[in-house]
Amino acid sequence: MRTILLGPQRFQVTAPAALRSLGVDGPVATINSGWEEREDVVEELDAALDGRAVHLRLHHRMEDVLAKDPTFAASALAFRDRHDDLLTSYRLRLHHALDGVYAVQRRAAAGHGRSFGAVDDAIEGLRAIDQWYLRTLRVLYEDMREVAPLESSGVIGWHRGEIEALLSRCAVLVMPGGHVGTLLRTLRLFAVEIPEAMPVIAWSAGAMALTERVVLFHDLGPEGASETEVHDAGLGRIKGFIALPHARRRLLLDDKARCSVFARRFMERHCVLLDDGVILEIDAEGALPAGARVLGLDGAIHEVQPR
Amino acid sequence: MSAETFRTPGGLRRRAQKLEINKLRDRGPVDEELVDRFLARHQVPIIEGERATFLYRGDADEVWVRHRVVGLPDPLPLRRIGSSSLWAATCDLPTGSRVEYQLETRRGDHYERFNDPLNPRLAASPLGSSSVCAAIGYAVPEWVHHDPEAREGELVSEVVRSKALRRDQEVLLYLPARFNRAARYPLLIVHDGTDYLGYTMMQTVLDNLIHRLDIAPMIVAFVPPRDRLKEYPNHAPHARFIARELLPLLTERFPLQDNPSGRTLMGSSFGGIAALSTAVRYPGVFGSLFLQSASLVFTDIGTDHGGGPAFDPVVKFMNKYRAKPTAPVDRIFMTCGIYEPLITPNRSMVPVFRSTGMTVKYTEARDGHNWENWRDQLRDGLSWLHPGPQLFVYE
Repeated sequence: MRTILLGPQRFQVTAPAALRSLGVDGPVATINSGWEEREDVVEELDAALDGRAVHLRLHHRMEDVLAKDPTFAASALAFRDRHDDLLTSYRLRLHHALDGVYAVQRRAAAGHGRSFGAVDDAIEGLRAIDQWYLRTLRVLYEDMREVAPLESSGVIGWHRGEIEALLSRCAVLVMPGGHVGTLLRTLRLFAVEIPEAMPVIAWSAGAMALTERVVLFHDLGPEGASETEVHDAGLGRIKGFIALPHARRRLLLDDKARCSVFARRFMERHCVLLDDGVILEIDAEGALPAGARVLGLDGAIHEVQPR
Repeated sequence: MSAETFRTPGGLRRRAQKLEINKLRDRGPVDEELVDRFLARHQVPIIEGERATFLYRGDADEVWVRHRVVGLPDPLPLRRIGSSSLWAATCDLPTGSRVEYQLETRRGDHYERFNDPLNPRLAASPLGSSSVCAAIGYAVPEWVHHDPEAREGELVSEVVRSKALRRDQEVLLYLPARFNRAARYPLLIVHDGTDYLGYTMMQTVLDNLIHRLDIAPMIVAFVPPRDRLKEYPNHAPHARFIARELLPLLTERFPLQDNPSGRTLMGSSFGGIAALSTAVRYPGVFGSLFLQSASLVFTDIGTDHGGGPAFDPVVKFMNKYRAKPTAPVDRIFMTCGIYEPLITPNRSMVPVFRSTGMTVKYTEARDGHNWENWRDQLRDGLSWLHPGPQLFVYE
């Protein structure tokens, strides 16, 4: 299984070199549904992929399903309302829990009294909230499937068949960035399964979607730092990582206390920085290559050492 | 006059530059030719560090700067430079400040107020225009200006028959670019709707902020008042129109998020009171309030609030609310100008709102009670209340 994760392609284009490095001929499937309504604006992508691209057009297909399958469209809207409600509660809990983590962390850093393991325990609280959110989200998905089973939709079945056929005649899959929520939604709707033997090149939202758990983050938004939140399960092709595209542009990496909370909250996984120019080939055992940059539990950036 | 020394926040002592107007004074007799050259060299008002020098050229017995900046003398008298036609006054203007003002002259018994003829920069409002003095560190946000790359939303004029108001009520509806009936949109209801459109360029601002992913694509109902002083301070028919007529109508006709957290009421000044009092009359219907320099005037004892009869119903409402504060919404974004008289009641209400369990974000600007101040705070407020998809987008 070969998977190459790249940094964002806007300023340093490394995708053509990554594709050549695979040494594979044949068509290149692309899933760029994260571009949403710009999904068909693919001139630059086509050029980067040597004109070998076969676009799966998952966003276009999702729009087609919404237009042709009213049962699915209604259940998707109902799911969205319930998900919005869940997100409101999740964010409220996160906001207060994170305030608590930072408060005890500041106290511990200032050396006031004994900490009694308050920071670790508070971070455990955060992890419990993340788990609660993911559990509840799974229930919402199950409820949705019960109301409108995707397998019983003719139009979804037709698209799934076509996607499978297109994918089966391609040698490589490329997944660019975009809206990671939309990307995941389309992958889930069409039950896209990437054959293990098929090499994959992905960047930004595409890289996030390949992991087991997609985490959203933006410390530098218009309204200041937003809370980092778990979004959903990804495809799980690569395990043990949380992908952090644009880390330098989106995270307050100089704030080690904040970064430490980030890394400790997701401590069972490597938080991998995917900045401009990064090329990481995940090895056969699914491990990160030497030199990959990860957030350490101390909040500093560390490089993975050679094994 | 020699240059003065002062201590910077970093503790360094620096030699302050002598003000340009003082250099002119120190040159000795000032003739009109010198005034011509002086004015040709300087933008007016002259901003030097955290000092602003206002100028007037003309014949008068007295000249003042008229403004509504709390803390500065109003009127601020200008002094004639020697025996010339040039008048000047200098005052503090901290970094980031923005002040609206006019000049007033007296010739005998005749008083006249007008915009500064030496300053082309104007701000518009329903009461007419004013001159604008911007300190160092202030810049008009770039997202205010038309961005050719931003797709434009659509503005649709509707007339709604209101039983509550016993009249037809105009409503201007903003539908975002790429409006899609399969999506769900937050709803923002804006008091003084046409003023927001006219004086804050809110349609352009919405287009730009949505394009930049700073705010969620949203449907906005701009509602103008007919009799503002009657309808805005805790007026039952107005609240009924908003909550029981307009909201259900829009919910039926448009794909709106079907929960309170997707609904925000907004207003500035008296419009802020209209938003708050509507939410208080219909608790749980709206999830958020966006209050800009809201007229949250109250008294702790007695009824002498100093605001005149128009504020009587405001004070009555606020005193009642303060006696038994409730949480009609989950979140409030409040902004106020530091230089306006309403800064004290706005600051005072933050802990009161918070005490009810509402989440309150409160920001201040070095500005006054005016539309450009409210315009400049739109991004912070709207992006906090209805954030755009930035968190989801990784290109």
